Amino acid sequence: MTTAFKQIRFSGLLVLWLIALMVFAVRAPAFFTLANFTSVLQFSTLLALVTLGQTLVILTGGGGIDLSVGGIVSLSGLAIASLIKAGTPALIAGIAGVVFGGILGSINGFLITRLRLLPLIVTLGTYYAYNGLALALTGGAPISGLPASFGLLGQDAVLAIPLHTWFLVAPIFLVMLFTLNQTPLGRWIYAVGSNEKAARLVGLPVDAIRLGAYALSGVLAALAGLVADSWLLSARPNIGDNLELLSLTATLLGGTSIFGGSGGFAGSLVAVLFFTSLQAGLQMLNVNSIWQLGLVGMFLIGSVLMDRMIRTAEPK
Amino acid sequence: MRRKNRWSACFSAGLMLFTAGIGLAQSKPKVAFVPQIVGIPYFNAMEGGGKDAAEKFGVEFVYTGPTDTNPAEQLRIVNGLIDQGVSAVSLSVLDASSIDPVMKKAKEKGVKIFTSDSDAPKSEREVYVAQALDQDLGYTIIDELAKRIGEQGTIGIVSGEATATNLNTWIGFMQQRAKEKYPKITLLQPQFAGGTAQRAFQLATDLMTAHPDLKGLIAVASTTCPGVAQAIESAGKIGKVIGTGYGSPNTVRAYLKSGAFGFSVLWNPRDLGYLTVWVGKQLIDGKPFAESNTVPGLDQPVKYDAATKVLLLGPPTVFTKENVDQYKF
Amino acid sequence: MNWKQWLFGRRELTLALACVAVAVFFQFLSPYFLTADNLTTILRNSVELLLVSLGITFVLATAGIDIAVGGALGICAIFVGWSVQGGWPLAVVVLIGPLIGTGLGLVSATLIVQGKIPPIIATLGLFGVYRAAIFLLLGGSWISGLPDTLGPVVNTTIAGIPLTAIYILFFYFLGWVVIRWVPLGIAIRATGGNERAARLSGISIGGTKFFVYGFTGLLVGFAAFLYVARYRNVETSTGGLIALDAIVASVLGGTSVLGGKANLLGTMFGVLLVRLLQNGFVLIGVPSLWEQVITGALLIGVLILDAWAERRSPNYTRWLATR
Repeated sequence: MTTAFKQIRFSGLLVLWLIALMVFAVRAPAFFTLANFTSVLQFSTLLALVTLGQTLVILTGGGGIDLSVGGIVSLSGLAIASLIKAGTPALIAGIAGVVFGGILGSINGFLITRLRLLPLIVTLGTYYAYNGLALALTGGAPISGLPASFGLLGQDAVLAIPLHTWFLVAPIFLVMLFTLNQTPLGRWIYAVGSNEKAARLVGLPVDAIRLGAYALSGVLAALAGLVADSWLLSARPNIGDNLELLSLTATLLGGTSIFGGSGGFAGSLVAVLFFTSLQAGLQMLNVNSIWQLGLVGMFLIGSVLMDRMIRTAEPK
Repeated sequence: MRRKNRWSACFSAGLMLFTAGIGLAQSKPKVAFVPQIVGIPYFNAMEGGGKDAAEKFGVEFVYTGPTDTNPAEQLRIVNGLIDQGVSAVSLSVLDASSIDPVMKKAKEKGVKIFTSDSDAPKSEREVYVAQALDQDLGYTIIDELAKRIGEQGTIGIVSGEATATNLNTWIGFMQQRAKEKYPKITLLQPQFAGGTAQRAFQLATDLMTAHPDLKGLIAVASTTCPGVAQAIESAGKIGKVIGTGYGSPNTVRAYLKSGAFGFSVLWNPRDLGYLTVWVGKQLIDGKPFAESNTVPGLDQPVKYDAATKVLLLGPPTVFTKENVDQYKF
Repeated sequence: MNWKQWLFGRRELTLALACVAVAVFFQFLSPYFLTADNLTTILRNSVELLLVSLGITFVLATAGIDIAVGGALGICAIFVGWSVQGGWPLAVVVLIGPLIGTGLGLVSATLIVQGKIPPIIATLGLFGVYRAAIFLLLGGSWISGLPDTLGPVVNTTIAGIPLTAIYILFFYFLGWVVIRWVPLGIAIRATGGNERAARLSGISIGGTKFFVYGFTGLLVGFAAFLYVARYRNVETSTGGLIALDAIVASVLGGTSVLGGKANLLGTMFGVLLVRLLQNGFVLIGVPSLWEQVITGALLIGVLILDAWAERRSPNYTRWLATR
């Protein structure tokens, strides 16, 4: 039954997307150019990476959520940029930044699993702490003037697909998807998410899995920071703003249950692409992006309502 | 049979004229402006001016911007506009260090890209349409304030977003001017209120409490003007603390009249928007700028500095209780 | 019980002590801190957050959440602003905020109760809708320069106590009475503690939730009214992410996100502590940019403190059982 819902929520999203595409086809044909295709992929990477992490965290259940992702993106972005400006080679700086992000995420994981604190509140606290540190340490000023050679990852494209899509988003997504659906670890993740007590009884390392999820979320956020740095050739303390709410919305829209235990990365990625293409399309129609907030909010509510209606209609 | 032929001939002729008409109508070049954020009166005024200019000069004006001061958002919008086929796009730069990617793309597609209201001086933008020189803006506000407080005392600064490049630039010039010309004036470190009147109010009040002998408060960013002025009024410090800021006449009129604000420094954003669209048209037509340009619809000629590629609207205007009613924006 | 539990067991006590400690610290560094003026200022700046946090505390007690309150506050403020501009009678101006706020709160409740949508999703979605609505209603400009007709409502003092303090105390007292003495209050805590069990024992879960979200809406509407009266300006960012601040204050105050308990006095001290710190830092010259870090550190600190004092939420094990 769960797979049926996954499919229905998933296909509901696809239907919405199709409708949007049809509207764009009629009113904004510029949408279907190669340039736009590249743009959409370009702008979706940040959200895609962060959403994958968010989805993983939510999947592991226990009220899992990560509100601090935006802060981790900003803070690691700043760390990487300062290292590069201090002369560190780009590769080392990137790796250091990613490790840093992992540490930030692990702090979340540690507080949640070791001290048994609630994810919502813990990550709310780190949201304030990380975002605040990014602002306070820089005084609001960006770290700019990164060397143009660093821009390779963020700015170039091959076959109309950005490099960071080729080398980061696509492989990471495929690996995570495969792990979730085809390996024991994936089954464990679903188990932990749907019934923690049972999972513990069977001997699954619940805490380790959750800690890992938060750490990975941090790593992915740091990668997003790296891409942002490379793309804009500067690091800003507020580059991560709003990513937590957006990634949460994308995850939920993509069919993952807020309680954990069902859903997946495919739906989340579709939701991310849906968002970004919707943004691009609406903009071509000269519709103010504020409408998108409202529309997305309604989609979110609508899709869950649809779920409920179907669930009550199904014979038990 | 012949009547049918005649009718169908007329019909197809009409259809061809009709499609030609649509085709012509659609061939009006598009000039776009992307503000730092939509939904605040300052940029709305620019939009108004832009629309007027578009009508006058026969272009289509596109106005769209981010809902949050998020540079990535702004980039995305500019990017989208380039894809959409606008002929000229201007933006009020949020982050000077990060618009190079779109600059490159614009040049590749032959789209004229330039800045207005807030600049990215090191980039390859065609021109910067400046309301007033950043330096003038910073200096004027300090000079006027110093005049009113006797060139000595403590002055507080309440800014908007800590990440806004243009606000920080003006603050930088304020600090420079104070250090160079008014050694007896202490300029406090800026506090950042974000975008709400409430935070600006809170910070202004706290500053007045922390420094009871505070002589002046500068509200950098039009969004902080109401909060700061309110704070001065509520604290009963009208006359003791001179408030000022970069606020439009409509926003600060009540406070100039009440005395909470001694003066306000600004330019006419409507004119700036108007000029921006005119500039776009000039760029599309490939017309160069002279040292002094007369723009139909603007009172004063607009100066152009070829070395820095800056087009200057004019000197900043100082609004006071006496002259504020002459202005309606 | 050991001394740890005594001292830290009652969160209000801990927070009150923290407020005192903070006050002493700041007074030491800045003689202007403990002046009547400054303290009144702090109180006046905390009004909206105090009201919204009270509502959020109730919502959290039912194991729910409301992220949309910021958007609701903005919408109510717009209507209050318009009514002032339109010169409508005072009664309308005062009531329109709470009315619309309650209405919006009931919308949330409907989605959550009838639609059976988890609160976080429902209110997250509504937040987006409300923000778009604010833009639409304001048409992109602000409501500014409102006449000071509402001044007396917020500025008068009776025997030295600001009127706003009386409003706050009134609502908190009301809330306290409801939570402690009225069956509804027991229903609220029961719903949060163990919804299934509560339903089985005959409590109307739906009615309880409707009350909680509606009441929060009422408080939000009134807070909007006070906001407009004080700042005479409504901009597109009014309200914003106040929901997060309110959640922080409630959690600082001892209310658990898992539901089942509501510590109103704790919430009040939680708000005061945050505002004290914000004010104090400006007074001693620390850049306001550090505020967020302080809030985050406070929150995490309180959570770790809880764990250390062995006050692991007793509801957690119960909550686990209901999953």
